[in-house]
Amino acid sequence: MPNIASSANGLRALESLAAGRTVIHRLHPAAKLFCALAFIVFTASFGRYDFTRLAPYLFYPFLMMALAEIPYGILLKRVLIALPFCLFAGLSNVVIDRETALSIGGAAVSFGVLSLMTILLKMYLCVMAALLLAATTPFAELTAQLRRLHIPAPFVTVFEITYRYIGVLLEELRSMTTAYRLRSGDRKALDVRHMGSFTGGLLLRGFDRAERVHAAMCCRGYSLRRVPPARRGFAPRDAAAAALVCVPAAALRLFPLW
Amino acid sequence: MHMADALLSPAVGLAMDAVAVAAIGISVARVKKDEFSEKKIPIMGVAGALVFAGQMINFTIPATGSSGHIGGGILLAGLLGGVPAFLSIAAVLIIQCLFFADGGLLALGCNIFNMGVIPCLLIYPLVFKPLLKRGADVKRLSAASVVSATAGLLAGAFCVVLETLFSGITELPFGTFVTLMLPVHLAIGLVEGAVTAAVLCFIWKMRPELIESANTGKKLGAVSVKKPLIVLAALAVVVAGALSLSASSNPDGLEWAIGNVFSRGDAEAGLEEFEENAATNPVADGAAAVQESTAFLPDYAFKDSESAAGTSVAGLVGAAVTFAVAGAAGLVIGKVKKSKKTEAGA
Repeated sequence: MPNIASSANGLRALESLAAGRTVIHRLHPAAKLFCALAFIVFTASFGRYDFTRLAPYLFYPFLMMALAEIPYGILLKRVLIALPFCLFAGLSNVVIDRETALSIGGAAVSFGVLSLMTILLKMYLCVMAALLLAATTPFAELTAQLRRLHIPAPFVTVFEITYRYIGVLLEELRSMTTAYRLRSGDRKALDVRHMGSFTGGLLLRGFDRAERVHAAMCCRGYSLRRVPPARRGFAPRDAAAAALVCVPAAALRLFPLW
Repeated sequence: MHMADALLSPAVGLAMDAVAVAAIGISVARVKKDEFSEKKIPIMGVAGALVFAGQMINFTIPATGSSGHIGGGILLAGLLGGVPAFLSIAAVLIIQCLFFADGGLLALGCNIFNMGVIPCLLIYPLVFKPLLKRGADVKRLSAASVVSATAGLLAGAFCVVLETLFSGITELPFGTFVTLMLPVHLAIGLVEGAVTAAVLCFIWKMRPELIESANTGKKLGAVSVKKPLIVLAALAVVVAGALSLSASSNPDGLEWAIGNVFSRGDAEAGLEEFEENAATNPVADGAAAVQESTAFLPDYAFKDSESAAGTSVAGLVGAAVTFAVAGAAGLVIGKVKKSKKTEAGA
């Protein structure tokens, strides 16, 4: 199970990216959240053959990555996760929708191919918008912002604890896996008969650990009701940054270039 | 089963987001009424993280050579009860979307509905709990797990099909899509059910009180169901409204399918006819329309000139140029930033 380590590393990589101090990182989390949502809604609202009209939207991920100093590779790897289902849906369009849309130098391009290209571009843009939000906003700031938006505290706390515990449980899982491998003669994967006790054991260990940690947190004065104050207020430059993303995006949606 | 933003229309996505937000709101209200809620919250968080870790546990399925992993909704519901399990799953889905690109931000509502609301808030109380009514034992736990996990996955997969089709992004006919999705998810559901059963039986043997306290559910019994029902009904109206709006502003999607049912040649006239019929018997006609839209003719092309107006060779060249310029702009900014940094360092 080599992907345990890589998955833990993946989370850590995003977290260290989010700890950067660039122009983008310093923006108010509310502005970044709003931009990401607006951008995704605009992107999704394009028609299914609007590949060329959608192309200018590529400026957003490219400029954001450059300004936030985020290497292309890390995010690109994650984009690939979203690929299979989109590709499947897109390829079926290629098969079904064969009418010629245009020809480039004698080679016909069908509507299906256009819609496949549109789906893939949309997928890239939407996935990048979500990832860029996560890669430029520290997790604690994101959850603090959610609390300020009056998302119920119990839910935000579940969200927080889940995120924080992934690393802890992956460590636990890694040691259990090592132990299992050593006992079972270096088996690559779990035998299905041991699935119940293995996963169950992990669950019980996790529950016990969570209870201990929670008790310790409460002893140190942790409470659900405490809403962290914003590090700073929503400044005019945050609004300006949001406008810089949303106004061109809206304009390009309403008045396409071609 | 995670849906991506690229396959959703904003109307469907936002409507389902609203449903998910309401479901989370109602669930939080119900969890808060539980006097032990503060103690339960860390357990819910760990359970969510376990779904994550669980996906990393590969196990070999005998005789197939393939490997599977556990999914979670029914497993968590069996451990925590439906409502807390739903909140855990919702948190997991948000994390998967933000940090792992698994499912989109706009599609969160759909994903939370398909993988959270359906197994935890519908299948669990309607299927799992009644099967355990006469107390838990290995047999009943196993049966309940397999049946509920399979039912939950099938219902979820069916909703994926519906949400995708209502969005009108793919050309896949309803029938083909369903026949592709359901058998696959039936198989996955049976495997997931077996694993869920194994885990729940193990926990039940080790700590029976965990399973029993989650599934007798007397602590939460005092909460009325009237309010949630009203909210969900109101949302259903909103969803329906949003869907019909999107359909009327998007002639090449759902509406064309409906129009196509009545007269293949003239979608407009067909639509009017549909609307007339819909006024008399909306439910039956709507159902008929959905059913009939499976008769999508693959080689029947409906391309109004407007939808393809932006598509020309010039447009493609423009797109390529845009791509190049955007990439170059990114590179230049990156270079400038780097050189500034080295200057500052020197």
